[in-house]
Amino acid sequence: MSIAVVTDSTSDLPADLAEKHGISVIPLNVHIEDETFLDGVTISADEMYERLPNSKVIPTTSAPSVGSYVELYEELAKTHDEIISIHLSSKLSLTYNSAVNAVAEMGESSTRISVVDTQQASMALGWIAVRAAEAISDGASLDEATALAKNLSERAVFIGMVDTLTYLVRGGRIGKAQGFVGSLLRVRPILTLRDGEAHPVERARNRKKGIGRLKALVAEYAPLEKLAVLYTTDKADAGEIANDVAEFAPDGFATVVQLGPVVGNYLGPGTLGLGLIKAESG
Amino acid sequence: MQNSTDAGDTTGAMLLVSMIRATAKAIEVNRDTINALNVFPVPDGDTGTNMMLTLRSVVDDIGDDASGTIGEVAKRMARAALLGARGNSGLILAQFFKGLSESLGTTDGEPLLRGTSFAKSLRIAATNSYKAVPNPVEGTMLTVYRECADVAEASAAKNGSFENVLSAVAASSLETVRRTPQLLPVLAEAEVVDSGGFGFAVMLDGALRALNGEEPAARVVEVPMPGGTKFSGSVKADFIDASEEIDWGYCTVFAIQAEDLDLDKIRAHMDQLGRSPIVDGTDGIAKVHVHMEDPGLALSAGIEYGQISNIEIANMDEQTAGWASARRGDATSPPVATLAAPDIAVVAVAAGDGLTDLIISTGLGATSVVEGGDTMNPSVAELLAAVNAAPSKKVILLPNNKNVVAAAQQVPDLTGKDVRVVPTRSVQTGVAALLAFNMGLSLDQNEKAMNEVAGEVGEGRVCQASRDVTIYGHEIKAGMTFATFDDDIVTVGRDPLHVLIKLIEERSDGAEIVTVYIGETVTPEQAETTKKTLEDKFSDFDIEVVHGGQPHYDYLIAVE
Repeated sequence: MSIAVVTDSTSDLPADLAEKHGISVIPLNVHIEDETFLDGVTISADEMYERLPNSKVIPTTSAPSVGSYVELYEELAKTHDEIISIHLSSKLSLTYNSAVNAVAEMGESSTRISVVDTQQASMALGWIAVRAAEAISDGASLDEATALAKNLSERAVFIGMVDTLTYLVRGGRIGKAQGFVGSLLRVRPILTLRDGEAHPVERARNRKKGIGRLKALVAEYAPLEKLAVLYTTDKADAGEIANDVAEFAPDGFATVVQLGPVVGNYLGPGTLGLGLIKAESG
Repeated sequence: MQNSTDAGDTTGAMLLVSMIRATAKAIEVNRDTINALNVFPVPDGDTGTNMMLTLRSVVDDIGDDASGTIGEVAKRMARAALLGARGNSGLILAQFFKGLSESLGTTDGEPLLRGTSFAKSLRIAATNSYKAVPNPVEGTMLTVYRECADVAEASAAKNGSFENVLSAVAASSLETVRRTPQLLPVLAEAEVVDSGGFGFAVMLDGALRALNGEEPAARVVEVPMPGGTKFSGSVKADFIDASEEIDWGYCTVFAIQAEDLDLDKIRAHMDQLGRSPIVDGTDGIAKVHVHMEDPGLALSAGIEYGQISNIEIANMDEQTAGWASARRGDATSPPVATLAAPDIAVVAVAAGDGLTDLIISTGLGATSVVEGGDTMNPSVAELLAAVNAAPSKKVILLPNNKNVVAAAQQVPDLTGKDVRVVPTRSVQTGVAALLAFNMGLSLDQNEKAMNEVAGEVGEGRVCQASRDVTIYGHEIKAGMTFATFDDDIVTVGRDPLHVLIKLIEERSDGAEIVTVYIGETVTPEQAETTKKTLEDKFSDFDIEVVHGGQPHYDYLIAVE
């Protein structure tokens, strides 16, 4: 019995990690004026962030179509008996819904497909897919891998410190962080995903203090099973954070990951963040 | 039937293709209008674009090749629509093609296109669509599909030909769209009809004109607005402008209970304080609804008439800010949400328009301001009234002046509310503490976090001596400007900006950020100069210069 692992491009999973664990990544779509790009495939993160502040028409994004899921699942079914498909919070996108519709569309089939709504995004989602793939290569069944992914969803944490809330507001994803909007002072909002939508954590008075808080949050969440430091445009800052929190990372090494075009469209240039999985307590 | 009798088109496939091409063209022609109508579920103005891209993928896939039976062509279309579906509207549109593929040409020897099979396809589209979206809502494309299916079935049952059925459906779809605001309140508020539903009606119009051979098949379709009014071309101006009114403030609703309430008097009072007051009541209860910049004022006024309860405060600035900026940028805005009464409220003392705005904007929609400062310390009674009026039983009180701390510390014993005083000795420290205020924390945790921040802030001021004075043991001549920091005098000079620079230079060791609040005595031109000078001069730490509007002090600074 072989089981294929699928996630979507909002996992921000680096290509080498996806390849190492045999994870298929289905891209969301990015719409800039009349052009449509495949997230991370036909538009790179750097291209996106270059265009973002200057684009007159604000880029929008959309879930992978039901049809593209069906194509991917049918392709994987040729070489696998079962599929686990692990996705972005259904509160933020139709990506999960589209996968569920694709499974319904395929109807009775010999391939069992389990679709998981992680209520997470970015590497908090990416690590869940990696852990599921690891468990499957250690012999976990589809049901076991699904149960694990759901359990990991509870322990996965996404943290983002944005330069401005503008991108979240204009993208309609501000969620419960609404109260942070409108301050006449320049502050750095730090946000998380709770129950699948944006939630305020705290406000840092400036970037330097915010970076200090991100490091402190890593220590607060430790011990950890997985840790990535995230950035949209400032790789050096992410690298510095990763160095300083390495002691809390499993194997003493925090992975530095760039946020992809879709996730970045809602957080904006200058964002720094964390994607981690807390160790199981007890 | 004109086109459908084309010699080579033995199954109606070519007619179907020409009609679908016309629907795509029709959406393209009306796309901007459809985008402009889009307020639900997320007002991101892309329904027309999504429908256009979805239809384009169908048209491109078919290309010039209309070979095969009508059933085969419809199946190819359904697959292309599903593959190319964009957004919610595209997904629902794909169900229309699925309906066609499951009902057209399914019987051998069936005539080209029949009314009954078209009716069946609409029914399949409606039924599938309700299943395809996570939360089916009436007043959308779903309603339009369903009612089109009803009309089509009725028309087909009367032996309606395909032309008759399509013609009946095209007309009725516009009437269904006209009624969507009755079914979905957000449409009525924005004075629009459903964008996706209108898009579908536009498609039917294009298809019907193509069938009848009218040129051009795609035309501008007038938006069917309720009551026969005309669509203005954008969401209701009030709906957008609302957010641009700086003083839109808070929608404040509460009840007053007392014997012998004078409703007229309360109404007149509220009218003085805020805008659009509605005051109504019976039997010792008055319900007040008023739009206020400072909801605390309305609540304080209410207390004069009796016990107040059932307080609901919604921050309309925050609700509408995203919307308006989005309209300006033609983009997505957050769904409008009503903020519930906060679990914890903050009452802060401040003087100056800038500081008041700053505190309210930073106070998470839970903060009110009591006017006061150095020369006008608020009384215990004023602080108590503000605490009692605050929209929560848990209140954090920021005295923001060392001469107000003692009065503030009286308040907890005088009220039934759980009040914590964070003894902020200056307004600049109070603002820093307020930034640590967090709805995710308990009252104890907030008190602790705000105290910690307050303890770490260095506070400085720059002011001019109006007469000869002695400050912290230093004699200062009238007209001179001096700077103090915490409880020290730092420097004396003639020019306030030089004094300010000296103050920052001497007291910014290890600072990460210095905030400068510009007072009411400083002219806007001077303020610009100050801002530029400071930003150029200091680079070891961040510097933020804001309008404080405080009396007496040219500049206040916070060093963190």
